[in-house]
Amino acid sequence: MDQVLQNFISVLRESGVPVSISETLDAAHALEIVGYGDRKVLKDSLGSSLAKSAREREVFDRCFDQYFTLEMPSVETASDRCGESAQTEFPLSPLSRMLLVGDTPGLIASMFQAARRANLESLRYPTQKAFFAMRMLDTMGSGELDRDIAQLGESGSPLPLKISADLADARRSLFESIIKFIEDRFEMLSNGTYNHLIEDYLRNSRLTHIEERDLHRMHAIIQKMVKRLNDLHSRRKRTARRGMLDFKRTLRKNITYEGYLFVPAWKTKKIERPDIIVICDISRSVSRLVRFFLLFLYSLNREVARIRSFVFCSNLTEVTEYFEKYPVEAALAVIQNGAGLDILMGRTDYGRALQDFRENGMDSLTRNTTVIILGDARSNFSDPRPDILRSISQRCKRLLWMNPEVPTFWGTGDSEMYRYSPYCTLLQECNTLNHLERIIGSLLRH
Amino acid sequence: MNSALDPKFTEIDQISEGYRAAGYICNRSIATTLYLAHHLGKPVLVEGPAGVGKTDLAKTMATYLELPLIRLQCYEGLDESKALYEWKYGKQLLYTQLLKDKLDRIIDPEENLSESMEKLHRYEDVFFSKKFLEPRPLLKALEQAEGAVLLIDEVDKADDEFEAFLLEILSDFQVSIPEIGTIQPGTRPYVFLTSNSTRELSEALKRRCLHLFIPFPDASLERDIVRTRVPGISGRLEIQLVTFIQQIRQMDVKKPPSIGETIDWARVLLLLHANDLNPDLVRETLHVILKFEEDIRIVSQNIFTMTDISVRSAGN
Repeated sequence: MDQVLQNFISVLRESGVPVSISETLDAAHALEIVGYGDRKVLKDSLGSSLAKSAREREVFDRCFDQYFTLEMPSVETASDRCGESAQTEFPLSPLSRMLLVGDTPGLIASMFQAARRANLESLRYPTQKAFFAMRMLDTMGSGELDRDIAQLGESGSPLPLKISADLADARRSLFESIIKFIEDRFEMLSNGTYNHLIEDYLRNSRLTHIEERDLHRMHAIIQKMVKRLNDLHSRRKRTARRGMLDFKRTLRKNITYEGYLFVPAWKTKKIERPDIIVICDISRSVSRLVRFFLLFLYSLNREVARIRSFVFCSNLTEVTEYFEKYPVEAALAVIQNGAGLDILMGRTDYGRALQDFRENGMDSLTRNTTVIILGDARSNFSDPRPDILRSISQRCKRLLWMNPEVPTFWGTGDSEMYRYSPYCTLLQECNTLNHLERIIGSLLRH
Repeated sequence: MNSALDPKFTEIDQISEGYRAAGYICNRSIATTLYLAHHLGKPVLVEGPAGVGKTDLAKTMATYLELPLIRLQCYEGLDESKALYEWKYGKQLLYTQLLKDKLDRIIDPEENLSESMEKLHRYEDVFFSKKFLEPRPLLKALEQAEGAVLLIDEVDKADDEFEAFLLEILSDFQVSIPEIGTIQPGTRPYVFLTSNSTRELSEALKRRCLHLFIPFPDASLERDIVRTRVPGISGRLEIQLVTFIQQIRQMDVKKPPSIGETIDWARVLLLLHANDLNPDLVRETLHVILKFEEDIRIVSQNIFTMTDISVRSAGN
């Protein structure tokens, strides 16, 4: 296969477009049909066979423009400053000669060659840039260039001195060109890998430590996780939904017609969705986590689960309607700062919150309900009312408690975790995305 | 493949010309994809916002090639019995009842049970033959001897399972019916899948298709479209109208007007014998292009400046 296309595809893969083998073959066939003649046609053809969504197309367009670029690395040469005579009078290395004469195409060719020899395609991390620059310079013959400059400089007569100075200038600009060249390549090559590293890091880092600028990445990761869970569970849910002839029911139904079978009966749909009630502590200590948790749950909402949610701080209030009215992100913003909600953002009071829940939400508990409580169980030394939690636990199917603190801190200070824990079906530490995914995954499995 | 139709696919420009003749203005990247789809023999997955002519792309292909268009509208819960084929259960049951008397004649009363069974076995395939098969769109498309254009509309509305089921058809263009065998078409149909991206389609499906993203058209293309679809419109009005629509698309509205709505609006303005846009006229006809009360309100607030810009863009 075409080496150019192959390299381009590896650039695409690195940038995050998952190109499969069959797509590669398609692209190769497309290339055979349309050829390299028309840039626009080439771009559209490769685009339609390699990029399979609007986002991928965007990446593709960027890579295509970068890769099939006519813009050559610019190299400034010393040609205008020095006569042709110089190269005949002194024995110079090929690189010095090219710099002196201003042989730009030659220099570019040698730069590409050096890039290939230095295996620039394996460049991955920003810290490797200098290393590759050194390697490329070496291959291009910078050692000889240095020697030429030194020798000419020592001679003492005006012409060689001038040539030496010119060469030194040219060397500086060559350095810059090479660095620029490597930077461009890095931009193109490393995009994907670097993203991947960050993603890994984010999945495992404490949710409370994630910085504002990474939030959009988090959302993307959450979407990805949610998609997986959805795929997994919607499939299972749907096995009962086939429109097939139900023979037993057909026989039974047609008894009325003296056993003549002419009204077929079909197998019917059966949809099972988990019924979830979420109670979240939104005091400052856990608010960050709540944000991700709710984002996660409500992304699931559409496909898998039916959710009612309550938040509390000093008292408790229901926020389900906000998620129905606004898009998830907007609703989260409201909930996070508590503005416009019927809630007091004072000291966290778990006893009061549970009491409020008993009044407002207790009726909707059935034996299919899963109750999830998210909070650190730090109740500022007020009465934690574990008796209410017990009655909740008795009425619902499962009671999960997710605590953002590490287990060693449970029960210390004003934490009432161990007074609540006997009534929880599952009590788990939860402070990274991976924790979240595991817990929510188990929620859907039953 | 499809060598008989090759004369219509020798050049990329030829396709755009043919489409233009059929009343569909497509830009070069659409034509390139269609050209490739023909030569690679691959289905085309068309994505883009609602109302940019995804479905029409397939319809026009059918007109262009003079082939029948077979359409499968996807929805949640669509399964193979509605997409591929189904046995005519009612007819089967009815026939078994009607033929009850015949059975007595076939089976000689003198014979013992196993001999009768043996005799019956000879007839067993009667009820599972093509006569009792109800072909649904996918099977119908494969059965067309001359080839066909198969449009699988809004594939993102169907379930994941259905998507998986489509894979066999999209990669091999054949289907297997357990009772009859594998059905292979004489001529491969042209397949178009459209999606509004309400959900991400599976990788496997995407891999088997060429991907075409149709965005909202730019001003010159849109003017071209309006001219073709609404031939009576004056040049001035057409420029003003398209400029106005393009401005709305820049705004933060719930549902930006699609090409279909641009065309409707052009027709309405033509009926009203309008020569120029003016704020009153626009306000009265705004509901043709905007379908949400809130959007209409947002646009109404800026109606003066927007009309002004539009009128000025057409020159004097």
